[in-house]
Amino acid sequence: MEARFECEIDKIETGVLLQDISFTYDLGLPQETKALSNINLEVRAGQHVAVLGHNGSGKSTLAHLINALLLPQEGNIVIFGREPSDDEAIWEIRCRSGMVFQNPDNQIIGTTLEEDVAFGPENLGLPQSELRQRVDFALEQVGLTELAQRPPHTLSGGQKQKLAIAGILAMEPSCLILDEATAMLDPASRNDFMDLVLRLRAERELTVINITHNMEEVLLADYIYVVHNGKIALHGTASDIFDQAELIRSMGLDVPVHIEIAGEIARLTGQPLQAAEAFSLVDAIQAVNCRLSDPPQARSGLTKNREAGQTFSPSTHDEFPERKTLVRVRGLSYTYNPDLEQSVKALSDLSLDIYEGEFLGIAGHSGSGKSTFIQHLNGLIRPEPGVVEVMGLDVSVKKNIRKVREHLGLLFQYPEQQLFEETVAADIAFGPKQMGLSPAEIELRVREAAELTGLEPALLDRSPFDLSGGQMRRVAIAGILAMKPDILVLDEPTAGLDPAGRDELLNYIQRLQEKGQTIVMISHDMDQLAGLCDRILVLKDGVKYLLGTPAEVFETEEAIVSAGLAMPRTKIFLEQLSKIDPSIRTDIFTPKEAARELYCHYQAGGEA
Amino acid sequence: MGQQIVLGQYVPGSSFLHSLDPRTKLISAILLMILSLSSMSAVSLSVLALVVLGLMLLSRLKIGLILRTIRPIMLLLLFAFLFNLFTGKGEIIFSYGFIVIREDGLVRAIKILVRLVLLVLSTSILITLTTTPILIADAIESLLSPLKRLRFPVHEISMMMSIALRFIPTLLDEMQKIMKAQSSRGADYDTGNALKRARGFVSILVPLFISSFRRADDLATAMEARCYRGGKNRTRLKVIKYSRLDLLFAAMMILTAVAVYALPIVFPGL
Repeated sequence: MEARFECEIDKIETGVLLQDISFTYDLGLPQETKALSNINLEVRAGQHVAVLGHNGSGKSTLAHLINALLLPQEGNIVIFGREPSDDEAIWEIRCRSGMVFQNPDNQIIGTTLEEDVAFGPENLGLPQSELRQRVDFALEQVGLTELAQRPPHTLSGGQKQKLAIAGILAMEPSCLILDEATAMLDPASRNDFMDLVLRLRAERELTVINITHNMEEVLLADYIYVVHNGKIALHGTASDIFDQAELIRSMGLDVPVHIEIAGEIARLTGQPLQAAEAFSLVDAIQAVNCRLSDPPQARSGLTKNREAGQTFSPSTHDEFPERKTLVRVRGLSYTYNPDLEQSVKALSDLSLDIYEGEFLGIAGHSGSGKSTFIQHLNGLIRPEPGVVEVMGLDVSVKKNIRKVREHLGLLFQYPEQQLFEETVAADIAFGPKQMGLSPAEIELRVREAAELTGLEPALLDRSPFDLSGGQMRRVAIAGILAMKPDILVLDEPTAGLDPAGRDELLNYIQRLQEKGQTIVMISHDMDQLAGLCDRILVLKDGVKYLLGTPAEVFETEEAIVSAGLAMPRTKIFLEQLSKIDPSIRTDIFTPKEAARELYCHYQAGGEA
Repeated sequence: MGQQIVLGQYVPGSSFLHSLDPRTKLISAILLMILSLSSMSAVSLSVLALVVLGLMLLSRLKIGLILRTIRPIMLLLLFAFLFNLFTGKGEIIFSYGFIVIREDGLVRAIKILVRLVLLVLSTSILITLTTTPILIADAIESLLSPLKRLRFPVHEISMMMSIALRFIPTLLDEMQKIMKAQSSRGADYDTGNALKRARGFVSILVPLFISSFRRADDLATAMEARCYRGGKNRTRLKVIKYSRLDLLFAAMMILTAVAVYALPIVFPGL
């Protein structure tokens, strides 16, 4: 082992090498927390490595160590031939590697794009002519040249992250570290951002270290490290890693949909997947097809009949017209800054009913009017022109607003940022208190809401700021639920959570719906919407573009793509398979159900 | 979304005044401020009025836009005018009941009005309307730089100013977002007595402070990651430069100062 590392130090002198690294926050203090222990990791120059792990696994600490923003307490670290032993070396390491952070806003320093890009090179003390040249080049590389003089707060999230890349490129680094850089971006901007990273890596021979929990990004890497509870739990190529799908899931991480389906089929047929067999979508389809079209002895072992498939046929929604209408929207339009030249039409002529007990999903590209629409629902924006009625109350009448907000609970993105009370219980009680309920009633509601969102009673007396991100978000949701709204409106409730936190939250949301709660949810994740919702509204440039059941909305790919969205991944998989066998159903949206359906389909087909 | 927050009142343009060195404009504005506050004679004020008129033309901004900058101090102007109008000695020119207006009171009131208007107009034309906030910050850093020898943290102060300028729109956006979120939970910021309203603002300020601290922490890390080590050895992309136009302008300002002080001596009667 020793010898192997020694010879590799020579070989990879220009890469990143971590040997037996341990790091503890607040070392020696009562609140000390061990973040990393005995980490061994190596990245060759020019390699693209993904570091995967749930929130709090220590992966961000790892990123900070690689950029010498933190120094290890134990172990050796060599970054492009330099050890962070003194100030000069630390400085040099930071010059060699640039880092894109998670929150786009909190890493922009300049008051114009140009000045922000110049910040790094200015710190290097470069002469002015060189600064100018580097800034222009970097902005051009990321396609922001035209916006050079604009103030950064006018950019979209995706543009801000590209600006962060430009700021790093201008320092001419060898290594690009992405610390969950895409976590706050919508899917379209995320793809755009990763395309840019891949292009720059190829053109400029950059080493890329991507710290993420997004599975599609992981598949782009040459090599993967999985961090779990401060240790490297697994490492290898994508096929090595996803060979152990169960283990990955047990660590609170996702498995790509096609691998999940292929794995499930392999389990049902009793023919395990071979390494590398189900790595790409094409491979996975191949693997599934070869197991199903030629089912050997397995058929007798696992008998399941065709009827099983019928249990998850899409529910029919003919009953909707009989349901009670809770929200009525007619002819709603809205324009931002109507007096100014740069007025933006956010909504035009939108009409819609929301029925009792339904789960309505809202999808649309960024700027399609989703957020503007839901702000009309509780009167934060007055409809003009148009009508919005909640439980028969017109929201444009000022004296109705209070009642409307009791009937319709609206939760914004990143709602944990609205917490402010000293204890969790007090924060949940804020809404009910404003409603003027009795103290006994308030206490009862707080306890109920905490239970519905899975917050243990012991947490109620703690400060909300001591909780984890996922828990804080559930406190915020409980704060709305305690008002017992008839309609719960959620704006991207799972944004920024890791897969485990996301699944947990969705579970609670689903349980609420089973109890008859009417829910409206905005999401960028089409798999999520397709799997959970009764109906989906797709907005495009402020216009109602599609409205119907998941099966109806996702019927044609062209329509979805032209709305700037992607098809659900399970659906994509089934569509591909149906090219081989047109009789395969394609209106299924969860990987598990798809695998069962496929299995039953071929069983029936084989017997017929 | 989409809502643009305009910081300060900068109006983009390419006039003579826009292209001047911000230091020239800053010093000139201070000079004009002193001149308009210290001169009381009609002839001096007329000279200053002419100069301000000239600046207006040089800025190539719409007159209405420039005059609008007086609006915020309207009340102050009115108060100063009335206060001076009813005081003073001398000949009574108007009286109605207890209202008595005397000649020197009227003259003083008009002069005070003119002085204040000139003061506001000259600062807004030279500074707020034609200079970006960041250039003002740069100018202050440059003008204060001799104090570096006295260990005065000039670079740090200018960095703080520019970060503040960068984050004001972001924090305003965030404040709006938090207000909307709390309103959705039934918070009411428009009605109720002062105490209730003040308590309402706690629900906005606490989240805003917490997020600002987090932002500050993140930003410090991001700055370190981009090799920030303070002002030492740091170069700048945009260096403010002195040109011949600045010399010309400075000469005009000196002439103005001389005229403002010399004319009352030459024509003591006015």
